[in-house]
Amino acid sequence: MRDRARMPSRRGARMPSRRGAGKLESEVLAALWAASGPLTTAEVQLAVDAELAYNTVQTILSRLYEKGLVGRSAEGRRHLYRPIKGAEELAAEQMQALLHRGPDRQSVLQRFATSLSEEDAEALRAMLKLRRRPR
Amino acid sequence: MTVSVYVPVALSVLVAVISRVMVARLSPTRGTVITVVGAAVLCAAGTTWALVLLALTLLGFTPLAVAEATERGVVLVQPVPGVVGALAAVALVFGLARVVRVARTRWATRRELRELCRSCAPGELAVVPVAEPHAFAVPGRPGRVLVTQGLLALLDGKERRVVMAHERAHLTGRHSGLRAAVEVCAAINPMLVLVREAVAFLVERNADEHAATVSGSREVTARALAKAALAEANGSRQAALGFIACSVNARVAALQAAPPRPDRLLPGGFLILGLGTATAAVQATLAFYHLIHWLWLG
Repeated sequence: MRDRARMPSRRGARMPSRRGAGKLESEVLAALWAASGPLTTAEVQLAVDAELAYNTVQTILSRLYEKGLVGRSAEGRRHLYRPIKGAEELAAEQMQALLHRGPDRQSVLQRFATSLSEEDAEALRAMLKLRRRPR
Repeated sequence: MTVSVYVPVALSVLVAVISRVMVARLSPTRGTVITVVGAAVLCAAGTTWALVLLALTLLGFTPLAVAEATERGVVLVQPVPGVVGALAAVALVFGLARVVRVARTRWATRRELRELCRSCAPGELAVVPVAEPHAFAVPGRPGRVLVTQGLLALLDGKERRVVMAHERAHLTGRHSGLRAAVEVCAAINPMLVLVREAVAFLVERNADEHAATVSGSREVTARALAKAALAEANGSRQAALGFIACSVNARVAALQAAPPRPDRLLPGGFLILGLGTATAAVQATLAFYHLIHWLWLG
């Protein structure tokens, strides 16, 4: 991280060594999933981190394509990328089932978390605004 | 025996109260978390053993033993009232039943999460097309980060990095194991519920701090956390999971403050209390042994 902050990023810069390639793959994949439609390499770069080198993004995308995690279609001279969906619909059903389990199971999941009350949400909004103004 | 057998109980209360009071002030380093978990485990083990000893006194004062003692002209001084022994036995049975239940539910939930991940494409990241914002760390070999599409769409690139770093911290720090340990402790000794909650919070804070380091910005980390939590509040009534954990406000506040400095004294205090419990348990065992020895061998 620090390396990247010091060095101005440029086209063709090497892959940041500090952050593993696997982590970058996850970030690129996450950006594709977050988008509402297929993205070009430049759009992916912007969605992940504008400071990231274009070539790095390109490399990651082709690696994801080779792994079969990302689909590619040509649009003129550019490529459009989208996440390949496997049995994710099934996973969504499984997750809904998990989230709506009985109180016993919920308590294990809720160990991870509890929902935010209306007052807490209000307080949280206030905290964020207070923080943003002085900057 | 009479005094030391009750010491573990007293010390667990102390550990629970201290963890409740100090949780917000503890610096959430891995060492601190492990120390608190260790103290909880020692307390749970100490109290359980104390209960076993108390329950065993029931055996020592069966009519047979009493009759034999009278025959030998020994006057039995009952150090533990029979009621206490019986209560201890009941508490022990209930505690064990709760442990089994907790372990089963945890096991089943984890298995379901793993299955869910298997339905997704391979790799570290598993994305589920669900609109509600959720993120989980799914331990395993290798561990995976499970997020909903809704959460990803809600955040920008840097905030997504925060979420992934947070969940990764749970995986590399083996937080789920630590939480399972305190959960079992709390199941067997309900006084330790406070410690369980404290550990749950500390573990989230630890992951938050890690995410702040990785993303290079405490502000972005706080924003990602708040965004996810607020989206959750606006959306369904469903409990938020993983990244959007309990007392989000306290976590955001901690991220907006200066980075925590590691403290040395407090974890030591926890450890001393835990060791105190263990020592008392050992002492009680020795006393128990002497009692048995005296009862049956002269």
